[in-house]
Formats: sequence, structure tokens, C-alpha cells
Amino acid sequence: MSKTYKHFQSERDVISQAAEKRRNLASWALTAPALIWLIIFFLIPYLIVVIYSFLTPDIYDVKFELSLDAYRQAFNPDYLMTLFQSFRLAILTTVLCLLLGFPVAYFIARAKDKTKNTLLVFIIIPFWTNLIIRIFSWRIFLAYNGVLNDMLINIGLISQPLEIMRTDLAVILVMVYVYLPYMILPLYSVLEKMDFTLLHAAMDLGANEIKAFFRITLPLSMEGIFAGSLLVFIPALGAYLIPQLVGNQKTLYLGQVITYKIKNIPRNWPMASALSLTLLFFVAILLVLLFTLYKRSKSRRIT
Amino acid sequence: MKRISSTKLYQGLNLTSFSLVMVFLYIPILILVIFSFNNAKIITGWKGFTLKYYAQLWDNDNIKQAFWNTMLIAGLSTLFSTVFGILTALGLENKKFSGRRLISGLIYIPLVIPDILMGVSLALLFNFTRVNTGMFTVLIAHITFCISYTVIVINSRLEGFDYSLVEAAMDLGAKPATIFWKVKLPLMLPGIIAAALLAFTLSIDDFIITFFTSGRGFDTLPIYVEGTIRRGTITTINSLSTLMIGFTLFLVIITKRIRKILISSL
Amino acid sequence: MEEIRIERISKDFDGFVAVNDVSLTIGSGELFSFLGPSGCGKTTLLRMIAGFESPSNGRILIGNTDITDIAPYNRQVNTIFQNYSLFPHMTVFDNVAFGLRIRKTPKSEIKDRVGEMLALVKMEDQAAKYPDQLSGGMKQRIAIARALINKPKVLLLDEPLAALDLKLRQHMLIELMNIHDAVGITFIYVTHDQSEAMSISDRVAVMNYGSIVQAGPPDDIYERPNSIFSAYFIGETNLITGEVTGIEDDYLQLKCPDGAEGFFEIDSTFHFQPTVGKQLTVSLRPEKIALSRSKPRYQDDINMLRGTIEDILYLGSHTQYIVRVGALKFRVFSQHKRVYFDEKALDWEEQVWLFWHDTDTWLIDEIPDSSLGNKEQPDTGVNHFQRSAKRLTQV
Repeated sequence: MSKTYKHFQSERDVISQAAEKRRNLASWALTAPALIWLIIFFLIPYLIVVIYSFLTPDIYDVKFELSLDAYRQAFNPDYLMTLFQSFRLAILTTVLCLLLGFPVAYFIARAKDKTKNTLLVFIIIPFWTNLIIRIFSWRIFLAYNGVLNDMLINIGLISQPLEIMRTDLAVILVMVYVYLPYMILPLYSVLEKMDFTLLHAAMDLGANEIKAFFRITLPLSMEGIFAGSLLVFIPALGAYLIPQLVGNQKTLYLGQVITYKIKNIPRNWPMASALSLTLLFFVAILLVLLFTLYKRSKSRRIT
Repeated sequence: MKRISSTKLYQGLNLTSFSLVMVFLYIPILILVIFSFNNAKIITGWKGFTLKYYAQLWDNDNIKQAFWNTMLIAGLSTLFSTVFGILTALGLENKKFSGRRLISGLIYIPLVIPDILMGVSLALLFNFTRVNTGMFTVLIAHITFCISYTVIVINSRLEGFDYSLVEAAMDLGAKPATIFWKVKLPLMLPGIIAAALLAFTLSIDDFIITFFTSGRGFDTLPIYVEGTIRRGTITTINSLSTLMIGFTLFLVIITKRIRKILISSL
Repeated sequence: MEEIRIERISKDFDGFVAVNDVSLTIGSGELFSFLGPSGCGKTTLLRMIAGFESPSNGRILIGNTDITDIAPYNRQVNTIFQNYSLFPHMTVFDNVAFGLRIRKTPKSEIKDRVGEMLALVKMEDQAAKYPDQLSGGMKQRIAIARALINKPKVLLLDEPLAALDLKLRQHMLIELMNIHDAVGITFIYVTHDQSEAMSISDRVAVMNYGSIVQAGPPDDIYERPNSIFSAYFIGETNLITGEVTGIEDDYLQLKCPDGAEGFFEIDSTFHFQPTVGKQLTVSLRPEKIALSRSKPRYQDDINMLRGTIEDILYLGSHTQYIVRVGALKFRVFSQHKRVYFDEKALDWEEQVWLFWHDTDTWLIDEIPDSSLGNKEQPDTGVNHFQRSAKRLTQV
């Protein structure tokens, strides 16, 4: 009389094998357009990047002569410095977004249901506003004879305009500004699902607010922190437009260098390819690292 | 009563940071909007109200051309990527599909790679194949980066789909084709609209990938704006930006219902 | 009006036998229930009648038509789904009209018939609402209307009340019976809740491991279970195992070990021919046992045990006692009679007499083994008792 029930849950979607084959074929047919498209316009281009990184640059194009010069140059101290700058910027942006975004996400998540949506819209409007316009608005705000300086002089805080535009500070400021919503939204979606009575339980058991935060809220929002950090860090690593429009040409970031090598004459496409692949390599390492970390934190929570 | 006061402090801290972030997010935009009506050539103090930059905007054929280019690219890439998205999501609905991992991989990887790399790789592809860059290459690029988003948004909608509704329709006498048009598609529709809206916004918003794939003579608005900022003639940009912000607000407001789905799918 | 014939139906899912060679005839207009723990195959059986699964073997007939290979959309069978499955993008009216529109019914007729149906389920004023504006009970009514409007020969109900709270469930049960009376078609009802099945059905089929254990009117199954599974799945019972030591005319004696090296004797009537020396099980419903402080005088020492009260659960309409005899525990339900108010209530650890009449026990030609029944029962009440039943019989 003893029988196992291991297949019971699949009861609903069990179909005969022939039908299963037919469905599989249908799935291939349905996904084929996107699949073919992505192979041609996503996978193959990367192959070309790899090929180009081993070629010789020409003023306007490439020469099909094998060479390792691109990699040799990419690893000289100047470019390693650029890479370091990019990483520093990305890390700083991520950390600042997290520090600034967490209380905001928490505040929205704990608001009443009706206010919640309104507050979210306030976060989302800048998110949907054109990137270049948001950057541009900061140029107006921070300019030497811009609004901020005007205001500060009028209040009497300063007598000479501050030079904020075209500094690293301006770059950081605008980076945080642009990427903040990417951090707040995933944090919010995790915090929103969190059971806040857990905090009361923790306090009931003797934890103060700070302990409750570090022992309950933070571990439970790990998923959102990972997702948000990923959404901020990765684009920040390849940022071009923000440093280009509000930064100076003394501190160059990877995105800028890659773009110059492609757009400016003399062109150096092998170099751009090599730098792109370096960036890709670091992103890949980072992703693997982050996912291992994430998996570990998750499995620890379960056990 | 130390506990109560510290809880209040905690809440106050959150409220304060929320308010500060709001100021941070909106001050620059607000100033931009106000200064678009400022009667001055450069950004200095308030010199009186004017609409003349809006008039200049209207007369500027380059801007109009860039606007139409943007709309054309956004419209077409939305259409294509949404259709791809619907088909792919329907294909992925089959949990036992043998190509599932391959396709999910191809869909998700572009999302975790910096945009600039897609720009570079497509630029090299078009160089390698000797294709003249222009509208056509920009369209290809936009479809490519929109597909991931449309598939994911529509797929997440389908994942929450209650299969018993299909059985219910079948039970009531509906044949598979009727079920698709009368039950499945209507229920997917919010997801499809959300996906299309997302694709549309992403397309309008994109600078870097367009920058790498557009040739001379084909400017979208972001490309045009960036060029103008670099050349320093920015007065019309103020008014243009204000209009674009207005357009965003308009989208946010008319899509009140869709917004909810957007929030849940993000 | 035609009867439903299920002929030797089996369903195999990748080697797991969900339904095992079931044959059954359900009469026209009957309200028939499949009752069993989750995983017993009752839902699979229902889904095969609806056409969502096709059987591995056997066939299903309605009247003289074999419907085994007919697609669900071509069957004159409609289903009430567990979560109602109302189309969220359609109004109540459109939901109910769905089946008629599929069949290209003229507009005016649709309007009339939807109106009639909504009246039947008392939802006339809700036609313009969307499902998410309705309460669980209201959704249930709409689901019924949406199914019945197609004039099916059979209405299938898959745990239709599972999502409702207790009060509403009792109310909807009566409502369902009224609707059944009004439309007069066959209802097939699937549930794991024995009280639901007992109160609503003309006949019940108790299922376990893909097979029908017993089928019959509810009182028949309750009073005369054919197996240990039936006995403990329907209602609660005490199961006592013993060896037949003597048979006299219309009753027999059983010698039962009490688990503590002692023995006691049970006298019982029987309904099958036992032999001396055979091991049998006796089912003794808790409400049939009487408790008394003083030794009952007219019992002739037969079916009379001395035990200790171990637990008392006051349940309002009755009190439940757990009484220990040797190492066995008996469950006893005792109604509150007014006379007992003058008496001091029974207390913990008090010594009492348990007694019953020899027609109150029911013999089952089976002895419980440790793997008895289905271990995945969701019904906590039964589960709890299953455990104590096992304790009771592990000798």
C-alpha cells in the first residue's frame, strides 16, 4: 500500500510525450526571432570586438594585421589608472546611493498604502526623465555663475563663486543623482514585502533600534541591496556621458577613453576593443563574486 | 520613555533623508524649468519672463528633425521589441523548453553589461560589415537593447498567470484560438503595455548606444542636445528640456494604471 | 438526464498511479462526493471527467456517449474551480455570458439567460462589477452561474468551499443543495472535508491511494465502515484489535490486549462470518461510550472497562474525554445532560467506568498496520486522531 507522491505536484501540467515534443518545437519557433536577432546583434558583435582587439590600428579604420599592441598599451600605468578611477567612481557612487537610498526606501515602504504610490511616483519621475536633461540641469545648477553660487553669495555664505562644475565632486554628485532611483526601487520592493512586526518582536526580545536594524532589517533586505548595487555599479563602471559633461579632462574614466578611441581621430579600435574586454572581464568577475556572495548569504539564512 | 523618543528619532531620520533626497532630485529640474522662461542668453540671475526660446525651438529645423528621428526610432523599436517580447515570453512559458537556458542567458546578459560595451560592439559590427551608419543601424541597436526589457516584463506577467483561467475558458466551451484572443491576450495586455512603454522610454532616453551607431546626419534628440551643450548654445536646450520633462510627466500621469504594473515589474 | 459511467479508469503520471482502476456509476441528478486526503486521486478523477486529463486506461460515458476522447470544450460538463477562476478582465455579466457568447447565442437571449442565472444565485445587482470587487462567497456564486448557464449535464465542483471561512462555508453548503434541487442535474463534488461531504451528498465515495475504498450514503459509511480507513476518515473512532475467542448466535467475544500485559473482553455483534482465533478490529465511535463513576448495574459486566481520565476538553456542545485503560487511550464524547449538573463533574485522574452496548461496535475484517492510511492528510482533526488511533492499536 505504500506509494510515493513525488510526482504529484506535476499532476496539472503532465501531457503526453508527443504533445510535449510539439510544445517544445512551438517554443523554439516562438523564441526564434529574438534568438536569431540576439545572436546576430549581440553575440557576434562581441566576437568582432575580440577579433579587433588583436588587430593593428589605422587612422580611420583597422589593418588586418595581428598584433598584441592593444593589450600591451591597455596595461600600461596610464590606462590602469583610468581603470582604477572608474572603479573608484563606481564604488563611491554605489555606496553613496545605498546610504542615501536606504532610508528613503525604508520611509516609503513604511508609509501608508495610499501615500506609498504617490511617493514612488516622485522617485520614478526623474527616473523616466531623459538622462541628458538631468545632467544638463546640474550644469545650470552648479555652473560658476549658476544658481547654486548665486544663492550662496546672496545668503552671504561665500563671497567668491565655488568651482564645482568640471570637478570630480560634480561627477560624483551627478552620478549619485542619476543612479539613486535604481537603488531605491529594488530596495523598496524588498522592504515593502518585509514583515515589520519582526522589528517589534526583536525589540520585545530586548534589541534596541540599532541592534534590530543590523540583526533584522539589514539581513532581510540583502536581496534588494544586491540588486540595487548591481543596477548602480555596472552602468557606473562604464559611465561616459556624466564625466564628459560635468567632469574635467584631467581625470578620465574608462568610458571616456573607450569612446575617444572609437570616435576621435586618429582612431584606435583595437585599443578600444582591448579596453572594452578588460571592462567586460571585470564585470564578469564582479558578477560571479556577487552571486556567490548572494547565494551564500541566502543559504545561511535558510539553515 | 527613552524607547519612544528614539523610535521617533529613527522615523524623523527617515523623513529627513526622504525630504533631502526629494530636494536633491527635484531642485535641478525645477531650476531648469524656471530658467527656460528666463530672458537671458546665459545662465545668470532672473532677467524677466519670456517665451522666445520656445519660439526659437519651434523655428529650429534641426531640432524638429531630431525630434521626428527620435519618435520614429522609438516607435519602430518599441513595435519590434514588443512583438519579439510577446513571442519569446510565450515560448518561455513552456517550463520544459529545451532552449530555455540559452534564451534566458541571451536575454539577461545584456542587462548586466555596461551600455557602452553594446555601443562599441555594434559600432565594430557595422564597421566590419561596412554598413553605412544611420537610421537603420540606430534602429537595429535600439531593438537589440529593448528586447531584454520587453521579454522580462511580459514574462513576469505571464509567470503570475493563473493557468486555471485557461482551463475555465476551455471548460466553458472556448477552443484554443478563442482562449488566446479572449482570455490570454487581454490578461497579458497590461504587461505588454508596460513593456512597450518601457521600451519607448528607453529608446528616447538612450544616448550612448545611439552615439556609437548613428552616422553623421542622423541625430536623435539626446545626440542633438549633447552636441549643442558641447558647442555651448544652450538657451534653446532649456526650453527643449522643459518640454521633454513635460512629456515625461504626461506619460506618468496618463498611465496611472500602467504605473502600478511598472512598479510591480521593476 | 443520463447517468455517468466510469469504467475501469486509471491515470498514471510518469509511473505514479494517481487513479487506480476505478469503476463507478453516478446516477442522474445525484449529488455525489469524492472524499479523501490530498493525493488520493479525487481531483485527478474529476479532471478526467472534465477533460483536462486523459485517462491512461478505461473510459467515461455520459448516458451512452463515450466522452473519454472528447476535448473539454466539446463536453457538456462544467466545472467550479477551487479558486473560482473568474476572468479578472471581464465583468460579472461578461463572465456569466462567456459560454453563451462562445456558442454564438443571440444577444437578447444572452441578456435574458444571464439575468435568470444571476437571479438563481441571487446576484442580480452585481452584474456590472469586476471579480476583484466581490467577496469570496459572491465569486463562488458567479462561478456557479457561469457554469450552469451552459446547461451542462454534469456540474463538477473541485473543493469549491475550501477558500471560504467556516460560517460562509456552512451557508454556501445549504445554498449549493438548494441550487442542486432547483436545476436537477448531476453534481460531482470533490472535497477533503468529511463534514462537508457528509452533509451535502446523496452518496459519498471515500478514496485513498487512487482507489475507492467505500461508496455509499454518508450514514451508511459512518455506521458501517468497511475498512479501517473509512472508519477513521469519516468521523472519529476508537479502533481496538483483538482475537476472536468465541462465537454465540449473533455475537462474538474478542480478547483484546490492553497494551500493559493485561487483557479485556469485548462482546460485539457481527455482519460477516468470523472464525475463532482470527484477529479483528472493532470500531467504537466516541459518542457511543458512556462514562460513569459508579459501576453500571444492568451491564452484566459485559463491554465494561475501568479507566482513568487523562484529559478533558470542554467543547461547548459536548465534552471530550481521553480515558486510559491499561496502556490504551479511549476517546469519549459526552453530551451535557441537565441531570449531570447536580453531580460533581468528572475530574482529571479520576477512576471511571466505560460501557457501551454490544450493537454499538462495528467489526472490521482488517488489523491496522503501522503504515495505515495516507500520511499526507491535511485535515488536522483526523490527523490528530489518526495518531491516537495508532497509539491505541499499537500492541
